[in-house]
Amino acid sequence: MIGRVRRYLRFPWRASSRRRADLEDELRFYFDMRTRELVEQGMGEADARREAVREFGDVEYTKRYCLAEDAMSSREERRTDFVAELRQDIAHSWKAFRRAPGFVAVALITLALGIGANTAIFSVVNGLLLRDLPFGEPDRLVRVWGTNQGSGAVRSQLSAGDFVDLRTRQRSFTTLGAFSWGGGTYIGTGDPVRLAGARVDAKVFTALGVRPYLGRTFAVGEDSAGVNPTIVLGFNAWRRVFGSDSTIVGKSINLSGRSRTVIGVLPASFFFPTMAEAEIFTPLDLTPVLRDVNRTRKFHNLGVIGRLRPGATLAQGSSELSSIMRQLERDFPESNSGMGVAAVGMREAVVGDTRPALLVVLGASLLVLLIACANVAGMLLSRAVSRRQELAVRAALGAGRARLVRQMMTESLVLALCGGAVGLGLALLGTRALVASAADRLPAAGQVTVDATVLLTALLVTVASGLVFGLVPAVAASRGIQLALKDAGRGASAGVSRHRMRTALVTGQLALAVMLLVGAGLLVRSLVGLQNRDLGYSIDSTLTFEVILVGDRYDSAAAQDQFFDALYTRIAALPSVVAVGGSGNIPMRGGAMASLAIDGRPQPEGKLPEVGYQPVSDDLFKAMGVPLKRGRLFGPQDNKDAPPVVILSESLVRSFWPNGDPIGARVRLGPNPNDPWMTVVGVVGDVNMGVADNSRPTAYVSGRQDHWGGMAIVVRTSTDPMSLLPAVRREVRAIDPTIPVAAAHSMKQVQSMQLTDRRLPMQLMAAFALLALVLAAVGVYGVMAYSVAARTREIGVRVALGAQPKNVFGMVVRQGLGAAGAGLTLGLLGAAALGRVMTSLLYGVKPTDAPTLIGVAAVLLAVVLAACLVPARRAVRVDPLEALRSE
Amino acid sequence: MTKPPIDLLQGTVDVLILRTLAWEPMHGYGVSRFIRQRTEGVLTIESAALYQALHRLERKKWIQAEWGLSENNRRAKYYSLTVEGRQQLRAEAATWRTYAEAVFKVLEPV
Repeated sequence: MIGRVRRYLRFPWRASSRRRADLEDELRFYFDMRTRELVEQGMGEADARREAVREFGDVEYTKRYCLAEDAMSSREERRTDFVAELRQDIAHSWKAFRRAPGFVAVALITLALGIGANTAIFSVVNGLLLRDLPFGEPDRLVRVWGTNQGSGAVRSQLSAGDFVDLRTRQRSFTTLGAFSWGGGTYIGTGDPVRLAGARVDAKVFTALGVRPYLGRTFAVGEDSAGVNPTIVLGFNAWRRVFGSDSTIVGKSINLSGRSRTVIGVLPASFFFPTMAEAEIFTPLDLTPVLRDVNRTRKFHNLGVIGRLRPGATLAQGSSELSSIMRQLERDFPESNSGMGVAAVGMREAVVGDTRPALLVVLGASLLVLLIACANVAGMLLSRAVSRRQELAVRAALGAGRARLVRQMMTESLVLALCGGAVGLGLALLGTRALVASAADRLPAAGQVTVDATVLLTALLVTVASGLVFGLVPAVAASRGIQLALKDAGRGASAGVSRHRMRTALVTGQLALAVMLLVGAGLLVRSLVGLQNRDLGYSIDSTLTFEVILVGDRYDSAAAQDQFFDALYTRIAALPSVVAVGGSGNIPMRGGAMASLAIDGRPQPEGKLPEVGYQPVSDDLFKAMGVPLKRGRLFGPQDNKDAPPVVILSESLVRSFWPNGDPIGARVRLGPNPNDPWMTVVGVVGDVNMGVADNSRPTAYVSGRQDHWGGMAIVVRTSTDPMSLLPAVRREVRAIDPTIPVAAAHSMKQVQSMQLTDRRLPMQLMAAFALLALVLAAVGVYGVMAYSVAARTREIGVRVALGAQPKNVFGMVVRQGLGAAGAGLTLGLLGAAALGRVMTSLLYGVKPTDAPTLIGVAAVLLAVVLAACLVPARRAVRVDPLEALRSE
Repeated sequence: MTKPPIDLLQGTVDVLILRTLAWEPMHGYGVSRFIRQRTEGVLTIESAALYQALHRLERKKWIQAEWGLSENNRRAKYYSLTVEGRQQLRAEAATWRTYAEAVFKVLEPV
């Protein structure tokens, strides 16, 4: 193919045989003339010729020399000619475009949308899946998670004891560092601010290979008790809370009532992997946990980050850690049976969850681009009809077929590049909007920028689309030229093949649109399913916020009880408050786990079962709308001095009390065998924990008997919950002005935030599907309008022979529906394949969801009908006399 | 034809051809005859070198070629000076003059 094109391209320049003949001619002329001159001077003819050759010098060498020079000139000429012709073609395209502004506008918008959508999505894919994470040698970074055979958990935390053993026994990593959750309240001059953060041991930043923006990170030993407390700030916290104070290193700040010296600020590109929300970092001291035998191996709260030794592979590291864990299982069966580790490459750990959604969306944007290309190709095919005369004239003036194809390809590429430029503008806006709408859900959102890779890809995509939509019409047009030359522009035969090509294009477009519509429909139905499922509690008109008690004065349980009693009383007294309660965590934010032992039952083999664990206030279940199924709720009498009591969730009761009545039974929660037994006093309905979890068997204890120093408050109102927030803040400030109201949202918002990472792909898919539908509709309209215009005479004849308007109308619509049917069939087949890829994104719907498929088919047929309407009406209005005369 | 002909350097051939073509477009034979007549036989350019130079100069775009009819109605390749060639001639002529003057300044006292 390339060879053929090259041969065509070479045609306008002197071929080498031609150059050789020219040179022979030139030299023959010289020898003839010189011979004649010598003859005139009196030499004999034969002598003269011999003399001319002799005095000339080396004839053969001269020929070779001249041919080499000529070949070089020819090559250069070819190059300059190519450039000149390209400029000519571009100028020509420009002129052609200015004559057809409508066509150009539609084509440009179509291409810009297609290319823009692709570039924007690709910039996200590039930032998250392709670009290096902003750490030194990120490929050697590993995230180590705990696994638990008993609960099936694969990404849980590790205990301090296990971590220390892993760290000292392993050989595959240069460093293993541990971190745990640990934010704080910054108490400065203004309102107190809650800052999310992590407690990290001195090795974590070393493992990550981070160079601080200001100051330094933690030194070894800085994480032990008794050392002057320090803090490292994330870039955002430094900018937002501390006004980018460049002299902050060395200053002391008050965090949660404790003074800490700022020793460093991290760079802007840094995010804490797998805990991206953390923006302050304090040292993690493991000694207290390691000293407490009940917590050393039973308190799982550590995340672990490792850096592989050069030459060590992830598989080696992983299997080494696993074998250490198996050893620990044998040594400490009571705490460690079933406990293992999973070492995962850092990129996988950070973006693994978002990958399927991203790839599906990227695929969708590619389909949109294909549809856009098909549309432009269709438009170019129609345009070729009106340009047949022009092309025929150019062909008659000596332009070869290859030359014409090249001209048309140039036009297509110019069109594509213009569309690409506009598309890039859209992509810049789109990328920014995407990052803004998902910044808190995208890990490493800061990595998403339009960089050189993205620009280069956009250019490639642009050129590729130019070639895709340009080649078919160009070849079709050049093939049509011969015919056009023969019958001066009336050629219906060229039209037929072109029309067939357009119909094929439209069918393909419809098929792709169907795939996208099905994909979007499935995602919409998943999200609706997620939003409408029964949570076991009500999220309407409910406000939630977090209160963490800070400072020495809250060390005593009594002080905490006093604060929360005051809080509940004051908020309950506000107008339009129905009920108020507090809980360790709201269900959608997860919660703690504890092991469960039941009095009077034999200990199960190995480890105790794990259940959810929440301290709650007396009125929490009322505020949440969780029904009491049996027994009683907590009351003020269940205080620190009273016998410990517990309320169980229905699913927990189902698992352990087949008769359904646990009231009066005694259980122990947590690992410490010396803790007292707690009496079951009530059973409440199950609550749904979140997106992935369904209801988790949970034990609730009274907030008066287990003090966490902080509560997630839930306020049920009879009004817009957010309107209550100022009054709530006022009440909290009235009790203690140093306590911030953090994470204040309506429960609806919390759910919505939970669903962001599902909503975003759904919204993008829906947008792409809509775009695809519009583009396909334009395509259908174009092909039908063209078909009616081309068949005017035929329609005229039919009408003259007595065809009724409804027959004509039906004829056109049938043709449109034919394409729709074919497109629909192909599209549903494609959607079946797409559905399989999407399974991980679906919730509660099968890829072959009948309502979705039927809905899509209905929408598609409606749109195709609408697109046929105008051309069909035009066909009905054809005047037979007019139609026959005009030809 | 009394004095023996002088051998010429390649650069010299180029500048002589350019100067010759500055008069009017000529074919290769014409150029050779013109130089021979003009210098009264003192400078003869070997025709091999002349043709090599013509093709070289054409490649450098200092001269361009066109097929035309000769005085005796034969197809002949005519060379003419391009704009670039004229600039080149001017530059080389100036260099030559400076060179020649410098050589004369040294030789003069003899």
